[in-house]
Amino acid sequence: MPTLLIAILTLGAVGLFLALPGGRADTRRVGWVVLAAAGAVLLALLLQLVPGADPRGLFAGFALVAVFAALRVITHRKPVYSALYFILLIFAVTGLLVLLEATFLSMALVIIYAGAILVTYVFVIMLAQQSRPAPYDVKSREPVWGCLAGFLLLILLARQIELFLVPAQRTPLPAPVAEAAGTIEAVGVPLLTEYVVAIQIIGLLLLAALVGAIAIARRRATPRVESEGDE
Amino acid sequence: MLLPYLLLGAILFVLGLIGFVTRRNLIIMFLCTEMMFQGIILNLVAFGRYPLKGAPTFDGQVFALFLIAVAAAEAALALALVVLLYRYQGTLDANAYRMLKDE
Repeated sequence: MPTLLIAILTLGAVGLFLALPGGRADTRRVGWVVLAAAGAVLLALLLQLVPGADPRGLFAGFALVAVFAALRVITHRKPVYSALYFILLIFAVTGLLVLLEATFLSMALVIIYAGAILVTYVFVIMLAQQSRPAPYDVKSREPVWGCLAGFLLLILLARQIELFLVPAQRTPLPAPVAEAAGTIEAVGVPLLTEYVVAIQIIGLLLLAALVGAIAIARRRATPRVESEGDE
Repeated sequence: MLLPYLLLGAILFVLGLIGFVTRRNLIIMFLCTEMMFQGIILNLVAFGRYPLKGAPTFDGQVFALFLIAVAAAEAALALALVVLLYRYQGTLDANAYRMLKDE
């Protein structure tokens, strides 16, 4: 099976390289076909690993949506669409978190990421909007080396995961947590007792980031181009 | 059940990495770091739900919450810097900001 996995990942690397912005339109289409083939085989492989019948289809669906959205984020030429596909990725990850019985965290993810962080991103993208696709969006930088480095890392990670987990998979799965799994109580009690120092530090970090962001945004840059985004 | 989640998390992380290296738009680059965070969140929660030994714990979810807070701080600072850089040169091309590089 490792050789099969490596073959799939190599196929995915080639497909991603072809699909990255920079090539001609038909090259990108070929890249998407290759990516779809690699994704289908990978999905079949993952499904074969998942025992049981019920969460299997859901996992497969969410995983497919997540990987597709992630690919679109890094291959789309228009930044606004990248941001919107990222929101799709958030929703797919939310579904996976619900499958992992992390209900509170999944809702927090939607509210914080899709509701706050991505809105900020879309705001900034609108501020720096170009009427036509900008040249730096149309052409990517060193796609060969980027894909090669990424997929070497992925092969390494997959190999380590397999080495560690395949013996551990033999042990029976832990029983499902009680129905109160992942609620605010279950997450909040350790958050405010065991990790109380960490949460103070996170508060400090957020305060520092807030002050820093305001200080940076107020600064007058010596503009080479007269800024129109001066609200 | 743990293995597919870990594999999916690794795939999301690596896709974010490739996007960060290959895209030239500053905003997309930071969006790719957020994508790497998604992979890590999935990893943490999966390890909390299906630990290698012992009963499931909620520590993974707590760490994921911390990670979301760090991601929010990062987004605020990074976007403030991006807006400042855009005012400075009128472009989001990462290659345009190489004046720190030793010529």
